[in-house]
Amino acid sequence: MILSDEAKNVLETSMRQNKITDDEREEVLQLIAGLPDDRVLLYKNVVSNPIGDLPRYSIHIRIQHMLTFVTFLTLAFTGLPIHFGEAFWAQPFNSILGGVEITRIIHRTLASIMIFSMIYHLFTITFGALWQLKRGRFDIRRTVIPLWKDVRDFNEDVLYFAGKRTQRPEMDKFMYKQKIHYFAAAFGNMVMIISGSTFLFPEFWAAILPGSLTSYFQELMRLSHPHEALLALLVIAFWHWYNVHLAPGRFPMQWTFLTGKITREHQIEEHFLEYLRNLVEIPRERALLRDMLESRELLVTQNDDVKPVTDTAGLS
Amino acid sequence: MNIFHGRIMKYTKTTSCLLTTTRYLLLGMGLLLASGAFNNAFSFEDDEGCLMCHKYPMMGRITDDGVKRLYYVMPNVYQRTVHRNVPCGDCHSYIKELPHKPVKEGVTCNSECHSIKNPATGKQFSHKVIYDAYKQSIHGRSKAAEGPDADKPYCITCHSNPLYNPAEAAPPKHIVDRCVVCHEDRKFAERWYNHTSRRIREVRRTSEEIVHLCSSCHGNKELVEKHVDLAKAENRDLGKKFSVAVTSYKESFHGKLTQYGFKKTANCLNCHAQEKNYFRSVHEIRPSRDPLSPVHKDNKLETCQQCHVHADENFVNIDPHPTSHRGDNPFRYYAETIYNFVSEIVIAGLVGISLFETFGRKRDGAAWRLKFGSTWRRKSKHGRDRVV
Repeated sequence: MILSDEAKNVLETSMRQNKITDDEREEVLQLIAGLPDDRVLLYKNVVSNPIGDLPRYSIHIRIQHMLTFVTFLTLAFTGLPIHFGEAFWAQPFNSILGGVEITRIIHRTLASIMIFSMIYHLFTITFGALWQLKRGRFDIRRTVIPLWKDVRDFNEDVLYFAGKRTQRPEMDKFMYKQKIHYFAAAFGNMVMIISGSTFLFPEFWAAILPGSLTSYFQELMRLSHPHEALLALLVIAFWHWYNVHLAPGRFPMQWTFLTGKITREHQIEEHFLEYLRNLVEIPRERALLRDMLESRELLVTQNDDVKPVTDTAGLS
Repeated sequence: MNIFHGRIMKYTKTTSCLLTTTRYLLLGMGLLLASGAFNNAFSFEDDEGCLMCHKYPMMGRITDDGVKRLYYVMPNVYQRTVHRNVPCGDCHSYIKELPHKPVKEGVTCNSECHSIKNPATGKQFSHKVIYDAYKQSIHGRSKAAEGPDADKPYCITCHSNPLYNPAEAAPPKHIVDRCVVCHEDRKFAERWYNHTSRRIREVRRTSEEIVHLCSSCHGNKELVEKHVDLAKAENRDLGKKFSVAVTSYKESFHGKLTQYGFKKTANCLNCHAQEKNYFRSVHEIRPSRDPLSPVHKDNKLETCQQCHVHADENFVNIDPHPTSHRGDNPFRYYAETIYNFVSEIVIAGLVGISLFETFGRKRDGAAWRLKFGSTWRRKSKHGRDRVV
């Protein structure tokens, strides 16, 4: 396989950051050189454990996801019957948890847990990034920060699904969809916290805002809280659950949110650049991949004399 | 023929038997009713003898206007009402003789009771104080008012005198037994017990009931529109929220929580009546342009601070009757329009992308597989398939 310049750069950076030995470096380059050029053929022919093969999320991220996931759904369950009080389903939904006297307590308690989860997440990513910087292993491309590459990836991916490209783009650990979703959730979270606080502490917001803005702000927050909640619920139902549960190939579900691991085929298909890092960081993965491809006669060896070993030295 | 005749005879015997049974049953029921009537006749003191005629069920007439009026007084019901100790003549003071002439004027609630004295002042008891307060309110009208004022509530619109304290039917014996040691007359003790206990118990309407009561007029679209048009024609000022008072309250947090029976949030009277003189003030509702109204701009802060203790002068700018009507609140109207547009675009876009991806992935050979969650099982159109 001949890597693109972008992939070569990622690979070289990873090898440098991980300070691998020359032998290991040679092994990685040999393996990559022997991979079939067609990545589709590659991810269709690897063997995957449905509950995951390669590390993706730490235990902290999984806890945060679980906290946000449970609190979000319960917050929606306790909040929407109040906003849509006139709807036929509102009264029974509200009664299930003991009526508004109880649900208002549940709603506020869960909101506090959700806020805690958000703060916990900010700590995790901040200190995680600092730790990686200290170890000399930080790579902005491996983070969820949006880059211009994401726009190109989106464009290329659309063309692939439209049948205009033969390969999906080489995407990083977080692809464009995940970045959009992450920042939409972060934005939504902030909107919900601020607007929710205006209901709980209207006097506080009235005191800190100029008198001319008080009414407009409150009006906006009154609109934002239910609208954002409903929008978030619909995005979760129609997009997030589609991506992790319903999409062909992901059905019935991805286990990543529980195991923290991603399947090999998924990693190669949608996060190929991260898979290159996996090959550098996990020696066992190199051996496994070699075995899998050899058993299917898909590995191009040196003896085949078809292409040179990828040269990345000049890019470092 | 004989057989036929025999059948008739048999039938006649059966009928006769049934008739006899029915007769006894009717006699028994009559006795029961008579005993009931006898009891009812003494269920409250009818010294004026009004029940001589008014005890008969279905006593009534059809007026010249074609309205059916029923004059039957149910003694067992009346004895549970708040007026049970008031002789009929105290309110129906225009009746001087029996049988009386057709009544032309009705009862008004500001009459002075001739038989009941206010124990605090020794004067004749009257609802005049409340009545005067009511007359000062925006709702105030005379009983015989006509035209637009006739739509306004009179005392009995709200005070339907419900029998909401059935416990009064039997005052606790262990309490009355104590009273009669000095007060001797058990009936007197029971009456006093009922009178005071009714006021000690919380018989104030719940928030839901208050909203329901106010909505019966302010939520009546036809009635509201009629008054809006009338005010326009007369160039009179109506409150800014007059036509949306109920719908906007229901859209507010106060309204949404009240709807679920939550007691700690504001109902109509918490803001439109003064808390410090609540029971008088609820009869004296004034429009927000009236400086005496609790929702007048000069009094709003104090009213809000009843619950929102830390509210400042900025706080009163918040609209307690929010709507998304363009005329009432253009900012909210346009904000909501933008929100709805963005939400619809986002959802339609995401569903579109998902469907697009689904077709793309299926063409690539990915399939929905329940077992193992594995994917590349179908033949792809690109011809690059899994080596089996």
